[in-house]
Formats: sequence, C-alpha cells, structure tokens
Amino acid sequence: MDFRPLNDTERRQLINALRGNAESDRAILMDRRDTSFLGTADEVPDEEVISAIKSVPCHY
Amino acid sequence: MRWLQTARGWLDDLQRSWHRPHSSPPVARGAVSTPLSYGPLERVLLTDGVGRTLFEEFDTHRQEARGEEETGWLLLGLREAREAVVVATLPAGTLRDASVAHVRFNSNAQVLASRIVRQTDRRLTTLGVVHTHPGSLRHPSDGDLRGDGQWVANLRGREGVFGIGTADGVPTSSDLFAYQPRPHVQCLKGLRFSWYALHQGDSGYRPLPVELTIGPDLARSLHGIWSTLEFHAERIERLYRQQSGLRFEVVADEWGPGLLLTLPLADLGDSLRVLIRPKEVRYYVLRSGELLEVHHHDEWVDRGVYLLLAELAARA
Repeated sequence: MDFRPLNDTERRQLINALRGNAESDRAILMDRRDTSFLGTADEVPDEEVISAIKSVPCHY
Repeated sequence: MRWLQTARGWLDDLQRSWHRPHSSPPVARGAVSTPLSYGPLERVLLTDGVGRTLFEEFDTHRQEARGEEETGWLLLGLREAREAVVVATLPAGTLRDASVAHVRFNSNAQVLASRIVRQTDRRLTTLGVVHTHPGSLRHPSDGDLRGDGQWVANLRGREGVFGIGTADGVPTSSDLFAYQPRPHVQCLKGLRFSWYALHQGDSGYRPLPVELTIGPDLARSLHGIWSTLEFHAERIERLYRQQSGLRFEVVADEWGPGLLLTLPLADLGDSLRVLIRPKEVRYYVLRSGELLEVHHHDEWVDRGVYLLLAELAARA
C-alpha cells in the first residue's frame, strides 16, 4: 500500500471530487484493488480521448 | 556514468521560471455538471486564448514555406449538455501529411499533448477539428463528411465541432478586432473561421453559432516546442504507459523552452528528471533534496531513463 502524501494536483482533484459528491451526488470512483481514489464519474478516460485523436480522418 | 555536480541553483532558477500547466479553477457550486445525456449542440464556446491561437497561427502558417497547404488543429475541451467549450488547441504538426487539397494530422504529438493538458483536468475531451482551405470553400467538403461522419461516433454525444478556416476576406484598416457577420462565422484581417456541427447519421453539417469567453488555450505553451514533442512523442508515450506517476511540465529559461519529465523514485521526494529541449536531452536525479546532473545525454528518452534507473539500482 502506498501511503505517500498526495501531490497538489491529486489533492485538488480529491477535494473537487468530495465537493461534487456532497453537493451533486456525483460518484467517486475507487480502485477495486487497493481502494485508492480513482477520480470521479465525469472524468473522461485516457483511452477515449486517445482513441478519438488517433482516428481523426484525413480532411480535404 | 558519473555524477557531475549538484545543481541546486539551477533547480531554483528553473522552478521560478516554470510555466506550470494552468490548474483547473475551483469548481463553483452547480457550475459544472456532467449530463447523463447529450442533446444536439446549440453553440460552440471558444476561450479568447483559443480564438487568438486559431487566427494567429493561421496567419503565421500562410506566411511559411508550406503556407499553401491545408493545416489544422484538434480541439479539446468540455462537452456540456448542449454546448462545447473549447479550451485547448493541438496543432496538425510539422510532420503532418498535407497538400493544397488535404491534411492529415500527426497524431503522435497530439496524443502526448493531450496527456500533458489533461494532467490537471481530466474532464477535457476531444471535441472536434478545425482545418483550413486554401481557396474560398467555407464549408467542409464531401470528403470531410465521409470521414467525419464515422469519426463522430468516437465523441461524447456522437457529435463533433468542425471549423473551416479560409483566407478569402479583404483586410481593412478598421480590422481592430474580430467580427461576426453571421452567428457561425468569425472574421479578422481577411481570415475567416466558419463553424459547423455534425452528428452521427446526419446527411450534412449544420452551421453552429460560435461565441467567445475569457480563458486560456491550455495547450498554447506546448506550441513553441511542438516539433520537439513530435520528435520524442513516440518514446515519451511508451515511457508514460510503462511508468505510472510520470508528470510533465513546460519550462522556459534563458536557454529557451523545454519539456520537463519527472518520474518519482522509491524514496519519498526523490525523482528522476529529464529536460528535453529542441537540441538536447539532459538527465537529473533529485535525491534527498539535492539535484544531481547526470553525464548522460541519450537522445532516446525512454532508453536514457531505463539506463539511468539501472545505474541507480546497481548503486542501491
């Protein structure tokens, strides 16, 4: 288990997630392997973004 | 391989001049929500930073040796229920495949740039594409429709934003600021961007009203090192996928801009750092608060990192 302190970005993301959960019932995602914070439901997975970028067609 | 010197002063100087990625603004109460379903786009909202990038870089492109070719940008931003908010532009790249009649983006650098931009806000998604036409065709072509019609299936709401840049206007002395002759058109100094939306299954594009708001182009600091990104993109991408915790920052000092990679090491606070500039790659190790420059200038970033990790493991 990794007990290191959160960095600034991770702390900000966690605070935003907690606020979204408290105010808007937005889900907080948890890693099933170690229960660590995985973000919120409104985040877009890397794979979705990268798949779209790689498949941009030729434009004419 | 030997340690050269401590570089505490270098670190301090560099940290003062770092162009840290723009952090997400605090989420205002009720201001941000993810809709469960997306309706048809009613407008595209550009930050002023994005608007400036498009007009400035289109103008610059036309003055370059390849200025007759088509060029373009990928758009990143937020997809709300009925609008798209564009906050970052990823250029087609110098390694694009282009002519006067087509452009295919170099996606390797765009993938890397998307990872860098999304470090601080993972809500950002792909919204669409802007590309230019050398002539006066202010509408996407039939060829565009065939490709985009399938591509939009990859986007949130199965709908994309598409901009067409043309340079068929007449610059006037009164061109102090951009104007909109029609809701979906922006003009400035002879340049014009016309905006459209396309949903999966549509038989054609529909004009999409465009509006501006105040905000940055989150990727603009990357544009100055884009050719460097393109050169190293594949190897950095590989490293990113193999090493969780790898972070990116755009830096600038008297030697010019660069990309700084930081890879955490096992001990708390320790890290391996790679500074990538257009003509060099430098490696550093931060251990116990002391920055050590390594005499090791492997041009291939992933190989350089693994050789350095192996060296550190051997010394542990």
